[in-house]
Amino acid sequence: MKPSVETHNLTVIYDKKPAIWNIDFTLPTGKIIGIMGPNGSGKSTLLKAIMGIIEPNIGYSKLFDQDLEDVRNKVSYVPQRQSVDWDFPASVWDVVAMGRYATKGLFKRLSKEDHRMIEESLNKVNMTPFTNRQISQLSGGQQQRVFLARALAQNADLYLMDEPFVGVDAATEQAIINLLKSMRDEGKTLLVVHHDLHTAQDYFEHMVLLNSRLVAEGPTSEVFTKDILTETYGGTLTTLSKVASVLQEKDFPMRHK
Amino acid sequence: MEFFTEILSFFTFSEPNVKVVFWGSLILCSISGLVGTFTLLRKRSLIGDVISHAVLPGIALAFIIGQQKNPLYLIIGATITGWISTYLVDYITKHSKIKNDTAIALILSVFFGVGVLLLTHIQHSGNASQSGLDQFIFGRASAMNMSDVWLFSIVGTIIVILIVIFFRGLSLLSFDENYSQSIGFPNELLKLVLSITTVTTVAMGVQAVGVVLMSALLITPAACAKFWTNKIIPMAILAVVISGASGVLGSAISYTYNGMPTGPWIVVVVSLFAFISAFIGSKNGLLKKHLQRNKNNTKILRENTIKLFFNPTTLGETRYNFEDIFAKSKMQRATLKKGLNLLKSDKLITVSNGIFTTTNLGIEEAKTIVRKHRLWELYISRFMHLQPDHVHDDAEGIEHVITPEIERELEKELDFPTKDPHDSDIPY
Repeated sequence: MKPSVETHNLTVIYDKKPAIWNIDFTLPTGKIIGIMGPNGSGKSTLLKAIMGIIEPNIGYSKLFDQDLEDVRNKVSYVPQRQSVDWDFPASVWDVVAMGRYATKGLFKRLSKEDHRMIEESLNKVNMTPFTNRQISQLSGGQQQRVFLARALAQNADLYLMDEPFVGVDAATEQAIINLLKSMRDEGKTLLVVHHDLHTAQDYFEHMVLLNSRLVAEGPTSEVFTKDILTETYGGTLTTLSKVASVLQEKDFPMRHK
Repeated sequence: MEFFTEILSFFTFSEPNVKVVFWGSLILCSISGLVGTFTLLRKRSLIGDVISHAVLPGIALAFIIGQQKNPLYLIIGATITGWISTYLVDYITKHSKIKNDTAIALILSVFFGVGVLLLTHIQHSGNASQSGLDQFIFGRASAMNMSDVWLFSIVGTIIVILIVIFFRGLSLLSFDENYSQSIGFPNELLKLVLSITTVTTVAMGVQAVGVVLMSALLITPAACAKFWTNKIIPMAILAVVISGASGVLGSAISYTYNGMPTGPWIVVVVSLFAFISAFIGSKNGLLKKHLQRNKNNTKILRENTIKLFFNPTTLGETRYNFEDIFAKSKMQRATLKKGLNLLKSDKLITVSNGIFTTTNLGIEEAKTIVRKHRLWELYISRFMHLQPDHVHDDAEGIEHVITPEIERELEKELDFPTKDPHDSDIPY
């Protein structure tokens, strides 16, 4: 079976300092995979780098053994809910319709089939009654459902989700996890950034533990251990962060040509 | 009166130049309304200000090189320096420790300063054809001629076509840049389309409005439109209508009073639209908020007054004269009178010989408000773990907020209680 996501020495430098450093892993398909780590550990950066939103400074990633450009319509990205201004003049339907732009491109009109897929996606997240609602009038949980519906409308094989459980009510959280499980059962792969350790074990079958560097990657039963968690959450490596500071202060290059 | 006949004479196109001014301002302002919609939605309002100030050195340089006031040269010059300024702001923000607002202030003042220097230099150079160049600072629509208008229509049409073609991409870019990138939309191309159309619009618009006030024309119409609609296409259309109307009206006024610059008048008119929109705009309008607040205050007064008539022992009719009820209340005389009048007109009480008597309707209302008060006291003492002597003030406020639906839920959740935390009966 082809791996879903492969990264090779993926490194992203913000302001001369590595935000993620040498991330190297291969992830299975058809699983709900959690990306866990403390605040500022580079979880979102990792997703953005995989999705080509941030150009990695070093390294590369492959999706289904191919370059992103060749499989883009099989991959869907769900940004953090707080990353957009929900006061934007758009309705729930408008936002979910953006999911169809992935295949329609800039110019092609939406067909009947597209409309059907939009409605179906809204239905899957129980947002049909809110179809015409202005997005500014939604609660946090509803906003997150709209983002998920937009991703569903893309009908992808791999979903990269940035903190879908943040700021949502308990009912929405349960609804989302049920949705993710049913997607997994259809053979989709879900890569989910998450930070709540209490629920992690129940939600994810596979995990990536991150703290600027890769701490561990593997099936939850193997990597969700006390030692690994301590290593992930127990603060940064002193020497590593010293090296990073020197890189930043002295403006050294990370690699020589 | 004379003012209106003068204005009216503008719209009859009695003077040939009026036609030029009319079409010129209409085209320039409409386009800036359209482009400005995206400037606003992308939260780049201040960039509009940078561009408009930065076109001044471009205009001056174009004149120095061309030695004449050819509109095409001036627009090209303006576009070039305008574009350089946005590029510099983005570059500085991205590649240095200087924050975006600082970069904006920096670039704006440097470019404008250089522009003013160059203009002064031109004015002292004694070139006769330079006259009117300084009007770019505050704008002068009457200085336009027919060839300007033709140029504006051609460039304007191109801008409109570009925005219509890329409308989907531009909307998505404005709403969610990361997602747009993730589905493979050409974000860099879309940003280029926006910056080119914005810079060109500003470069042309300064003719009518001037560099100092151009950003107002870019942003204000879109900001007005957002008060009226929550959909992007109607918003863009409305912004175009508002800015077009402001442009025409503003230039009509300034044309009527010969010698007045156009820009300030256009901005005065568009600000008037903004003022009106903020007050009565269908969404979030201040008037609506004000009316709602008034409605709330009336409801609170009405309920507080009928509460005074609550009879805790019989739960039935009560009779009071004004002094008794005034002594019971903590209100001012005038407020209480107003409250009593409200009750009277709603037939909750009757008045005869200075005695206020509750009607059946009034008895029910009084019971309802007391019931809501006591249910809420019980609710918060139980779920917020408050002591019984801490719940009254909160309930005084919330009793007016509780709708019949919420009341039913409270009853259910508290299992149809009969006593409040102070051991008083909850009246049903």
